[in-house]
Amino acid sequence: MRIAFFLVLTIVGALGATAAAAVGAPPALLGVALVVAFLGLACAAGAAAVALHAPDDLREPREPHGPTAPTPLPDDGISRPAFGRLWLAALGAFGVLGLVPLISLARKPGRRVITGWRSGVRLVDENNRPIARDRLVDGSIETVFPQGGVGLAEGSAVLIRVDAELLRVAGEGGAADGYVAFSKICTHAGCPVAIYRHASHELYCPCHQSRFDVLHGARNISGPAPRPLPQLALDVDAQGYLVARGDFGAPVGPDDWDRFS
Amino acid sequence: MIVPRVVRWLDDRLGTNAGARYLLAKIYPDHWSFYLGEFALYFFVTLVGTGIWLTFAFDPSPQGAYASVLTLADRAHPIGYMMRQIHHWSAVCFVAAILVHMGRIFFTGAFRRPREINWMIGFSMLALASFTGFTGYSLPNDLLSGTGIRISQSIALSIPFVGTWAASIFNGGDSYPGPLLFPHLYTLHVYYLPVTLGALIGLHLTLLIYQKHTQFERDPKHVVGRRFWPDYALRTIAVFGATLAALALLATLIEINPIENFGPYQPWLAANGSVPDWYTAFLEGALRLGPATEFHIFGHPIPPVFWPGLVLPTLTMGLLLLWPFIEKRLTGDGAAHDVLDVPTQVPLRVAVGAALIFEGILLTLAAADDQTAMTLHLRLESLVWWYRILFAVGPLVVGWIAWRVAAEMRARIVESAVYPSDVTTLVRTEEGGFEEEEPQPA
Repeated sequence: MRIAFFLVLTIVGALGATAAAAVGAPPALLGVALVVAFLGLACAAGAAAVALHAPDDLREPREPHGPTAPTPLPDDGISRPAFGRLWLAALGAFGVLGLVPLISLARKPGRRVITGWRSGVRLVDENNRPIARDRLVDGSIETVFPQGGVGLAEGSAVLIRVDAELLRVAGEGGAADGYVAFSKICTHAGCPVAIYRHASHELYCPCHQSRFDVLHGARNISGPAPRPLPQLALDVDAQGYLVARGDFGAPVGPDDWDRFS
Repeated sequence: MIVPRVVRWLDDRLGTNAGARYLLAKIYPDHWSFYLGEFALYFFVTLVGTGIWLTFAFDPSPQGAYASVLTLADRAHPIGYMMRQIHHWSAVCFVAAILVHMGRIFFTGAFRRPREINWMIGFSMLALASFTGFTGYSLPNDLLSGTGIRISQSIALSIPFVGTWAASIFNGGDSYPGPLLFPHLYTLHVYYLPVTLGALIGLHLTLLIYQKHTQFERDPKHVVGRRFWPDYALRTIAVFGATLAALALLATLIEINPIENFGPYQPWLAANGSVPDWYTAFLEGALRLGPATEFHIFGHPIPPVFWPGLVLPTLTMGLLLLWPFIEKRLTGDGAAHDVLDVPTQVPLRVAVGAALIFEGILLTLAAADDQTAMTLHLRLESLVWWYRILFAVGPLVVGWIAWRVAAEMRARIVESAVYPSDVTTLVRTEEGGFEEEEPQPA
């Protein structure tokens, strides 16, 4: 009777889940019905297994382990090791041939990273609006892109406004009107360096906790990043909008084998 | 009845009854720990079942992926919600079940000759399951998973000689994310990886049946246990039911991977507390502990992510993959073993296993070092240094302690076999009192 009870529970659960799905009941109800159905199945099978009272010491012989007798090879007039090596060499030759389609998929080594920054290119925000010189107050930040390149990771930069006097004391050369900008792509693993700590003037990468000193060209304070965030030297154009003085001062993002230094 | 008629019809054409009789009457040894692999199997079955449904509900294009998963994450669509929830829960449980099953195989020495091949197949499945999980977790293109993909691309780029080639094959372009990244992830996740896993599971089970199961019973000449039919058939149905009931319960109670809280991926955004699914967290932890040093070889950089992101997992995986052969070299035991070890019987194995588990837990904890530092009011940099020291010294200490404990327990087992301590012989004296007899060697 116990097994029958569990089987009925399974049926009730499965049909209950069907009904719950049919009437669009919330997931919790559907889930509970599914739990009942599967638990009923598990209990029914488990109870049946226990009720069998089957013997647990049945024996089946094991065959001894060991190598089988070698079969004779076709006679080609060469020794057995040489025969084997030739077969391996033939397979290896196909392996070399197999590299051709694989390599054909890859591009030439050396990533061409196009940031979109040139001298005189305006800084724009996510909505492609240029950044006027009074856009940010002291201590605030904005994600910027080169005009015409909104959304491209390689061109993204973080624009920060700090006290111009602090920058002057620190001897910061790439700043304009209290603004500094750095590549937003971390030199460690390519995460966006998205967090600015105003009190200590540092950028912080939320992925692996690298910290960069904003007042000193984003030099490394701590964390696994091997080099500073590349700086974007800034200027203000005649209309009062922020522009780049050129491309980033260093390659953007994490290094790789083909990036010579 | 229909079943006997179908069976007779098949037997008439294919002679299937002889094989079926052999398989149904086969004897398997019984121990609770032998069911661990079955859980993994049923998680995989669940993943395939829910996964097929999800391919019809999911838009794999990078533009449409997030929105289509958002629909599936909405409780207003209970069927889609449950399918995705069970799928994701099943994925994280799948890797966990494989790992626990592998731990059983490791500590009881079930991988020894002649079962080294099945150990290596099993280990490959652990790596493949993790990779499949990672590709699936990345498909929604949400802010959390997108960050993970970006990090993996940086790790791929760091490989000497071939890094840029490998990354460009996968990415399909120079800028990130490349136009072919998501199509590649999708094909891998729904086709290559699960088909490979399915084939390996088939091979794994075939070898298990062919080589016969290991056991604890000290009868090396026979498999001692129960018949498959109906004993184990009922038991395995029970395991299947329990697996699915547990998944349905988890899916109902705890929402996993709430992408609606993460937002869509934008390459210039990242959130605090970005931590991946548990089975890749050890790599994230390793990246956080790795040194910032960048070497140059003839002008070619070796980026810092190369050591924790590639060298460390490759060495660990190599050690585990080749463990049967390493242990054979260390112990000089090349005999075939059908009888399992009690885990404490081989202190060397216990020490290595304990050290590896320690490293895994430590690196996983390190993946949340920022939250830990904040919660415990520690300086993050100090915590990182403590973790680094523990990473270097911890496995030696843990391994040594595990070695000593295992050696002690083994000695006691040997001692108790010679002098059974739970047997006390009382001799009745002539006066009517009792005297304890001195224990004699058995």
